[in-house]
Amino acid sequence: MMLAVIAAHFVAAALAPALVAWLRRPALLLLAAVPAAGFGWAVAMTGRVHDGDPVEQRIRWVDELGLELSFRLTTLTWVMTLLVTGVGALVLAYCAAYFRRDDGGLARFAGLLTAFAGAMLGLVLADDLLVLYVFWELTTVLSYLLIGHNPERKANRRAALQALMVTTFGGLAMLVGVIVIGQTAGTYRISEVQANPPSGDAVTVAVVLVLVGAVSKSALVPFHFWLPGAMAAPTPVSAYLHAAAMVKAGVYLVALLAPAFAGLMPWRPLLLTLGVLTMLLGGLRALRQTDLKLLLAYGTVSQLGFLIVLVGAGTRSAALAGVAMLVAHALFKASLFLVVGLIDRATGTRDLRELSGLGRRLPVLLVTSVLAAASMAAIPPLAGFVAKETAYAAVVDIAETGDGTGVGAFAGWALVAGLAAGSALTAAYSIRFVWGAFATKPGVEPLEASDCRFPSVGFVAAPVVLAAAGLVLGFLGPAETTLLEPYADLFPEGVHEPELALWHGVNTALLLSIASVLVGIALFRWRDGVDRVEGVLAPPTDAESAYRAIMRGVDRLAVEVTGTTQRGSLPSYLAVIFLVVVAVPGGVLVAGQLWGGDGVSVRAWDSVGQAVVGAITIVAAVLAVRSRRRLKAVVLAGGTGYGMAMLFILHGAPDLALTQVLVETVTLVVFVLVLRQLPTYFSDRPLTSSRWWRLGLGAAVGVVMAGLALAASGARTADPVSEGFAEPAVSYGGGHNIVNVTLVDIRAWDTMGEISVLVVAATGVASLIFLITSRDGRWRPDDAIASAPPRHGHRPHRNLWLRAGRTVAPEDRSILFEVVTRLAFHVIIVFSVYLLFVGHNAPGGGFAGGLVAGLALMVRYLAGGRHELDEAAPVDAGLVLGIGLFVATGTGLVPLLFGGDVLQSAVVDFELPLVGHVHFVTSLFFDVGVYLVVVGLMLDVLRSLGGGIDEQSDDEDSDTAEPAETESSIETAEGVR
Amino acid sequence: MNASALVPLPVVLPLFGAGLALAFGRSARAQRIVSVVVLALMVVIAAVLLVRADADGPQVTHVGGWHAPIGISLVADRLSALMLLVSVFVALCVLVYSLSQGLVEYGPDTPLSIYHPTFLILVAGVANAFLSGDLFNLYVGFEILLAASYVLLTLGGTADRIRAGSTYVVVSLASSIVFLTALALVYAATGTVSMAQLAGRLDDLPDGVALLLQLMLLTAFAIKAAVFPLSAWLPDSYPTAPAPVTAVFAGLLTKVGVYAIIRTQTLLFPDSELSDVLLWAALLTMVLGILGAVAQDDLKRMLSFTLVSHIGYMVFGVALATDDGLSGAIYYVVHHIVIQTNLFLVAGLIERRGGSTSLERLGGLARLSPVLALLFFVPAMNLAGIPPFSGFLGKLGLMQAGVDDGGWLAYVLVAGSVVTSLLTLYAMAKAWNRAFWQPPATEPDGSAGPRTDLHRKPRRTDAQVLTGKAAVVMRAGMAGPAAALLTVGVALTVFAGPLIGLTDRAAADLRERTPYIEAVLPGGAP
Repeated sequence: MMLAVIAAHFVAAALAPALVAWLRRPALLLLAAVPAAGFGWAVAMTGRVHDGDPVEQRIRWVDELGLELSFRLTTLTWVMTLLVTGVGALVLAYCAAYFRRDDGGLARFAGLLTAFAGAMLGLVLADDLLVLYVFWELTTVLSYLLIGHNPERKANRRAALQALMVTTFGGLAMLVGVIVIGQTAGTYRISEVQANPPSGDAVTVAVVLVLVGAVSKSALVPFHFWLPGAMAAPTPVSAYLHAAAMVKAGVYLVALLAPAFAGLMPWRPLLLTLGVLTMLLGGLRALRQTDLKLLLAYGTVSQLGFLIVLVGAGTRSAALAGVAMLVAHALFKASLFLVVGLIDRATGTRDLRELSGLGRRLPVLLVTSVLAAASMAAIPPLAGFVAKETAYAAVVDIAETGDGTGVGAFAGWALVAGLAAGSALTAAYSIRFVWGAFATKPGVEPLEASDCRFPSVGFVAAPVVLAAAGLVLGFLGPAETTLLEPYADLFPEGVHEPELALWHGVNTALLLSIASVLVGIALFRWRDGVDRVEGVLAPPTDAESAYRAIMRGVDRLAVEVTGTTQRGSLPSYLAVIFLVVVAVPGGVLVAGQLWGGDGVSVRAWDSVGQAVVGAITIVAAVLAVRSRRRLKAVVLAGGTGYGMAMLFILHGAPDLALTQVLVETVTLVVFVLVLRQLPTYFSDRPLTSSRWWRLGLGAAVGVVMAGLALAASGARTADPVSEGFAEPAVSYGGGHNIVNVTLVDIRAWDTMGEISVLVVAATGVASLIFLITSRDGRWRPDDAIASAPPRHGHRPHRNLWLRAGRTVAPEDRSILFEVVTRLAFHVIIVFSVYLLFVGHNAPGGGFAGGLVAGLALMVRYLAGGRHELDEAAPVDAGLVLGIGLFVATGTGLVPLLFGGDVLQSAVVDFELPLVGHVHFVTSLFFDVGVYLVVVGLMLDVLRSLGGGIDEQSDDEDSDTAEPAETESSIETAEGVR
Repeated sequence: MNASALVPLPVVLPLFGAGLALAFGRSARAQRIVSVVVLALMVVIAAVLLVRADADGPQVTHVGGWHAPIGISLVADRLSALMLLVSVFVALCVLVYSLSQGLVEYGPDTPLSIYHPTFLILVAGVANAFLSGDLFNLYVGFEILLAASYVLLTLGGTADRIRAGSTYVVVSLASSIVFLTALALVYAATGTVSMAQLAGRLDDLPDGVALLLQLMLLTAFAIKAAVFPLSAWLPDSYPTAPAPVTAVFAGLLTKVGVYAIIRTQTLLFPDSELSDVLLWAALLTMVLGILGAVAQDDLKRMLSFTLVSHIGYMVFGVALATDDGLSGAIYYVVHHIVIQTNLFLVAGLIERRGGSTSLERLGGLARLSPVLALLFFVPAMNLAGIPPFSGFLGKLGLMQAGVDDGGWLAYVLVAGSVVTSLLTLYAMAKAWNRAFWQPPATEPDGSAGPRTDLHRKPRRTDAQVLTGKAAVVMRAGMAGPAAALLTVGVALTVFAGPLIGLTDRAAADLRERTPYIEAVLPGGAP
């Protein structure tokens, strides 16, 4: 049932926008029915709760985290439920009249406020600390959105952010506390924690953290400043969130945990001190306000301090007084806020310097306010008086005997004095409120009837009901005592059994009540003097500016730290990476003395050839790094690659060597194609200063790598898995070339991945070069022909055998080269296909074959330019790539259809007429895919980096006057590099 | 068909689809159909795999019938299958989003025909990385996704993207070199790259050498996962890409790095001595990352910093090396994939609606588009760890694990998590205040920037756009995926019970190691 009531609020909130759009303002009355139903339910439960038979509901949510949607209605939660639903319903109903027909955002507002009521209800009903926290934060976020209801004003946005940050700060502190308590106790269920409170140092810290949450939510010193700021919200929101409901969450939490933790050391000193301080500070500030709403806001701060003192004191009397005060405060403060909203709507102002003679115009409001303010000032026979009498009695008990709290006599009397002074201030600002709103003031023009619109009955109903409730409750002291007793009984028996009543006889409490009201009157009478004294006493800096300073500090820290770590410079990022490599694995290497080890014998070389090749490779590498010409660097880097190939040969790996040589060759040519567009020399001026440093880092990385290699290979004990390749490569893979079987069968999965990398690389290069393409958004390399400028109707070109004449200037042509190329081309292609087919048993394979075919295309391009290339391969590179990938992956999928494993190959032996015995392995299809992808890649690279760049430079030559064009092509070229 | 036969499909299908899409390069329509169908199929397959892995234990396939440790095995255990399902679903959402955005964002001149194949290959790479049971093949998976990401990041080739792309490409290559070196070292020391076999053989190595290998692998993965101090490249490269690209990168790529860390730390180096080191890295990643977010004026850049920062949470969970910590980390990864992608997609919507992602220039969006406001606010609060959303549940799990650990450093991390959470909320609320609440034109209270500034001139036109004259209406195809992700984000809360049950079981599997090893090498390691 409890979950249903809570959920009903959220459902209603979700429907609210639609309802408001349909019914306009009366929709709010409909929404008010939801909390009203909750109120009715809580009333119906009164008997059960009083009989000590708590209503419980538990639904599993996340067992692993101790999260359980568990709800429990006990005396305290019952009281809170009545307040939250009752005031909630009244405020929602009030909103129907408060908002004007044309107020924007009403739909959103209605949804948020209803959702808030649900969240608040969930908060008070929750019997799981984490679920309580969930609703706690929900109220924070919803309050953020509600405070920012009119976000156009910067002050409102700032106030909303401030409230959010302050209360979330407390909330997160509380979360940590809750987790520590929960993990220590082994349960998050509140009733169980109450029954068996955990203990220990960690728990003590945790409880303090929870109190930080409570104190920030209830706007106690030093977090009090957010609450007056939150008055940026529409007045009904202030009445509900910032007087009756949300700010009470902190008080509620303290009341909830007090039976379990009030005895912990920092609990009472912390709460009693902060409570009294807040009560005094809030009261003093309230006395100085001219905005009625701010006056009430500071009054709320003050009262929250008072409430925290009572519920935090941890005695039976104080607890009863605290809950009674909680109820009384909700009634009178909500009523007063709603009155302010009415005044604001009726007269257009809330400034008490402008309001005069309103009491005569709106007598109903005057009576309502007097009732509510009298309750606030603790004047009999109102609820506020009854609660405060008991409160005085409770603190006097503490001062006189300690009442089981361990509070000393001095501290106890200081507490009494503080509360009495606070009450005097409360009485003073209560008077100030009524006077400020309704009195006829000298020197201020009294309001005429035409200046103020008389509010409708529905508009006035809510505050009247609330104020009247405060009056009725004043006479119901004994009944209230009976209802609240179960909560108070959670605390150990005190000196006196507390009782709520209008008349206890003449005692210290009564005298204190009378004294504080009298002092309050005096404070109001001589308020100018009070003002001056306060002006002198006011601290030079307040909590709000401290908050601002902290936030500014965070912002500045953020900028500075980010400026340091985020240099925006690639060399510095690389330096960090390599430093980590040197420092971390390198550090372990040195610290553990792992590089030499025992039993690692280092042989300098196996053969003289190895030594020579190694030396050449090293020299080439060093020279490559030193060279300032790009071309030279590329060629030297290629030299290291060829050196690598030589090492492969010396180790007896012709396949690897073949592939390596082909890759190096292709890479070199591609580099050269790109280098055409780049400056001849590297520009190293900006980096000169750090040259030695970079050199050192590079050398260090190299040394670490060498050390790692020694350490790792020295540790080898097991046999490598590759030793198990040889036999099954023939028996299962059906091939004698172990490298090829590895590539297309054993580790075909790797190969499949790598050819997809090739495909992506090809498309990527093309996408950068062919940025500007045809309308349908695809790149079509043969556009190069279609858009070639010199057409002139020269059809005969089509039939030319050598196409170079179209693009290459006569002085750049070599007819001999072109002719030899044309003659050799088909031979090379046939050879590449041969490599593909024999690959499984002899050096070769799809990759090498594809590269050879690609080289053939490359030679055609180099000899005759891009049109010659188109002649050689009149297909779209994308198509070749796509088919290649399609074939390779398709080969992988087919065995699945036959119940095999992915990429599994089958060996077929059969006789063909004329050919003889054929030994066929299906992995050949996979290799065909590889071949096609490699050819596609080469074609693509030649088209983009060759033909594409040719075309761009042609454009630049013909149109050098346009700098933008040049710039973009350089960017493109850089991207490719 | 046996479920283990499905294991290779999440990699082969998208590659197959990419081949088709390339071959169909001339028909944008055919490409769209291929990619949507492939990704939708993958979602189904991943879901089946997850169910079966949870019910029957790890699903293993040996490619080409070559059994581990000789051949490559693909393994879908609970962790892999869960990662796969979430990633593929998110990728599908991003793809649908980009279909609607596509032509408008890139203009008619974009090489659209490469977007689909590249996107599919990217997803294949991610899937491969998750499924691979072979360390070298994990490297191949990384290469696939990185190569595809290079292309997607520089899509359109504007100066900004090329600049960002060069940072990204070079850093990624550096990380690949480190990874490849680490692989060579691993093979040199153990003679195998099959992870199941490595698990046994690494135990036999001298402690120091195993530690070296672990550190090398961690360094490589930490670059990819963007763990401090190896994270600075990320905010410099992600934000310039088109919104869907940034979204899919943010959601998936760093998480592959995190996945690799989780897999190798648990399977290969179970008795890690590096807990404290990782905890420090986690703390610095969280706090410094979120400070970066607070300092940003651009929404996408700000989100990139939160991305880095929240990687810290996952590392935190891994570093704790307890069942609860690991489970929390896995749940956090799932949450973060969904939410971070969601936020970047919404950033793309904001860019379209408001004409910019600069918080200096945006304004008044709450009034202009309440739907957009909702689409931003919920995931933003989710990311900030506001309950009851998944971000809160993830942090809760991690903080509980941290408190259980009880060490002082773990408590420092718990405090760091809370601070990061608060600052995330601060960054998000600031962005909300500025983009959604602040009036678009000048401030009424006169606190706007200098009005004489010449650079403000063009902003007027933005304001006109905002006031609705030229406002672009959100396309359902773009808002839909964002809303779908938002819904999934909420579902992560509603179904947190079963989901965290699953991550708990996944974490227990990982810590136990035997389910994985025995599934791959039924007869024990040779």
